[in-house]
Amino acid sequence: MHPRIEIIEADPDADRRLLESLADWCDRFTPLVALNGADGLFLDINGCAHLFGGEDAMLEEIVRRLTHQGFDARAALASTPGMAWAAARYYEGGDRSVPAGEEEHALAPLPLAALRLEEKTRFGLESVGLRHVGALLGAPRAPLARRFGSMLIARLDQALGMTEEVISPRLPVAPLSVERQLAEPIGTREDIERLILILARTLKEDLERSGEGARRLQLSLFRVDGAVMRIRVGTSRPLREPPLVARLFQERLTALENSLDAGYGFDLVRLSVAVAAPFVMQQADFSGHASEEEEALSLLADRICARLGNGAILAPALAESHVPERRARFAPIEEEARARPTGTTEPLPTAEARPIRLLEKPEPVTASAEVPEGPPLSFRWRRALYRVARAEGPERITSEWWNEDPPAPTRDYFRVEDMAGRRYWLYREGLYGEAAAPRWFLHGIFP
Amino acid sequence: MARTAMAQETICALRRKIARIEGTMPERLAAPGEGESLVLRRYGRPEGTAGRPSLSAETGSPRLDAALGGGILQAALTEVIGRETRDSGIVSGFSLALAAIAARAGAASTEGARPVLWVATADILAEAGFPYAPGVEQFFGLTPDRLLLVRANRLEDALWAAEEAAGLGCFSATFLELRGNPARLDLTATRRLHHRAREAGQPVFLIRHSSEPEPTAATTRLLVFPASSSLRKTLAEPLPRSIGPPAFAVTLARSRTGKTGTFTLEWNPHDFVFQERWPTGERGSAFKSSREAQDTGGLAAASFDRPDPAPPARGGLAAARKERRAG
Repeated sequence: MHPRIEIIEADPDADRRLLESLADWCDRFTPLVALNGADGLFLDINGCAHLFGGEDAMLEEIVRRLTHQGFDARAALASTPGMAWAAARYYEGGDRSVPAGEEEHALAPLPLAALRLEEKTRFGLESVGLRHVGALLGAPRAPLARRFGSMLIARLDQALGMTEEVISPRLPVAPLSVERQLAEPIGTREDIERLILILARTLKEDLERSGEGARRLQLSLFRVDGAVMRIRVGTSRPLREPPLVARLFQERLTALENSLDAGYGFDLVRLSVAVAAPFVMQQADFSGHASEEEEALSLLADRICARLGNGAILAPALAESHVPERRARFAPIEEEARARPTGTTEPLPTAEARPIRLLEKPEPVTASAEVPEGPPLSFRWRRALYRVARAEGPERITSEWWNEDPPAPTRDYFRVEDMAGRRYWLYREGLYGEAAAPRWFLHGIFP
Repeated sequence: MARTAMAQETICALRRKIARIEGTMPERLAAPGEGESLVLRRYGRPEGTAGRPSLSAETGSPRLDAALGGGILQAALTEVIGRETRDSGIVSGFSLALAAIAARAGAASTEGARPVLWVATADILAEAGFPYAPGVEQFFGLTPDRLLLVRANRLEDALWAAEEAAGLGCFSATFLELRGNPARLDLTATRRLHHRAREAGQPVFLIRHSSEPEPTAATTRLLVFPASSSLRKTLAEPLPRSIGPPAFAVTLARSRTGKTGTFTLEWNPHDFVFQERWPTGERGSAFKSSREAQDTGGLAAASFDRPDPAPPARGGLAAARKERRAG
């Protein structure tokens, strides 16, 4: 072997990661980027080319920038994915674009491999002397299909544009997005925030035209060196006011302070609406108290979620259950709002007192009771001994056998007060006389 | 806009006239900072009330109200401290009771019931448990749809969320619950909270578990200890060994009036008022059995006729016993 060849172990995962980061970077040209095999990318540039000064200029730009990054990239532009694939891989001497209508002419001199065929089919064709695509184009289609399968014809049609082939984009395509190319890369937070405000203003016009508001927004920051950062924020109600959008991102950027690495700066910033919802125009009454307040509240909820992470703000979700922890639990506010129409919010009548704090998980305590079925005399919780002065109970809560398999043991709840006046909610799990000895748990705390 | 004082006054007069004709509040028509006679209202509350005395809500205990200078302050930071985390039920219950009092007083002036925001650090929620909506509703009348909880992993996040919420004015109360005496919660941080509360006109409660009192900007500081509850009252006689309404032993450590004191308060979950327990007073009803008297003695039996705070713990118990014997 040649002494100067450097041998590196193949690492498909790393290759994949590299390709994905390249796909991320290609997002700057078009949102429709699809991975192709282990070494290719499809870019659907429908309607994007004019932004880069025409198709040829765009192709040149892409290849030039990839070369600057140190990649040996080959690219081709055609009206069908199949043709572009073939041209990129099998054309000698550089990158070119195939004008629409000239696919047949362009495809004819290429080898059969340019048709993305299975190896078996290709060998079969070559064994009968068909070595170029041109030979296939002239041959009658029916016998070809009979002998080599319909896939061959499908590939041929796809390359020629007779059947539609869709590439599936790697990332969901935002229904609406605005972006700005920057001649001078920006890096400071103030600049980014100012730019968000400008982009949001443009976005507002479009949203107004379609009568929608944003429910989820994404900010893509394209770094000069190719890395792409995506920042998402959600809103609890359709939103379109630029200052509010900017404010949400401001919280998110504050939270990301350390992890957002501007490097040499960002040269493309895109703000897209990932999820839009109809914007209900509401006329407030003249005083406008109620709606203003509601708006302020939902904005605060959004900002808290943007800064503290999703699920930081919780609301009680009620369920029709007599098991205390199932009766009311805290759920993220958007989840709770979704569950509300189906679940009932009707309060269950409970005559018995309920604690104001419930431990996330009942904590086992060691307790001693005077009589087997009676309240505890004393118990030890978190290494401290509590002597029970007074107790009320038991309140027997059996398991929901229709929900649980196997059903949980029956609980006997006691409300106890210790000598100092602390009031707790204890329960004994299981009954005396059953196989396992009953255990005691502390579940809640009373005021 | 109006340049001279004369023109400004004319405009103000015209505005008031228009408002009277339309039957709406003139305040909303006014721009901020446009003359002293106008008040800009946000969410129905006057803005920039910094200079005015804050409204207060009566707690139901005359002695505590007197010490607080009329009641619990509506637009201020109130600090509620518990010495141990295991008292979390008592401490958070007392804060909720204060909020219920403030909300009841506030409901008379503004329409509708506003939600409550409970900001807590994740560690205290793990240790003391989450607020339990059915219990909170039972004891303090706060319906589950009005309770919002923010769980913050870091203290800075909790402080930020509480500050933002406090300044918003669309909550009937904001709670900030944390543990210990973190250095970050200093005079500056609490002063910011207090200012927000004052501007928005809504109370902020700072709940600190297993904590020691330290200088903060809170106008009111209350130390809460457990206290034995009285027996459940029935038509015939108190039910033996039963647990009555929640009771709290409260030490007022700082107040606007400068007065301090020790109180044993009993919460009335039906009328949302406190009742002070008179250790020597109502001997006829609740304090009949000797067992009960022993229970009350524990931490802070309040003195009846002295303005000075009774020293907590043993002194109070001895005083109570002495008086019992004398009477």
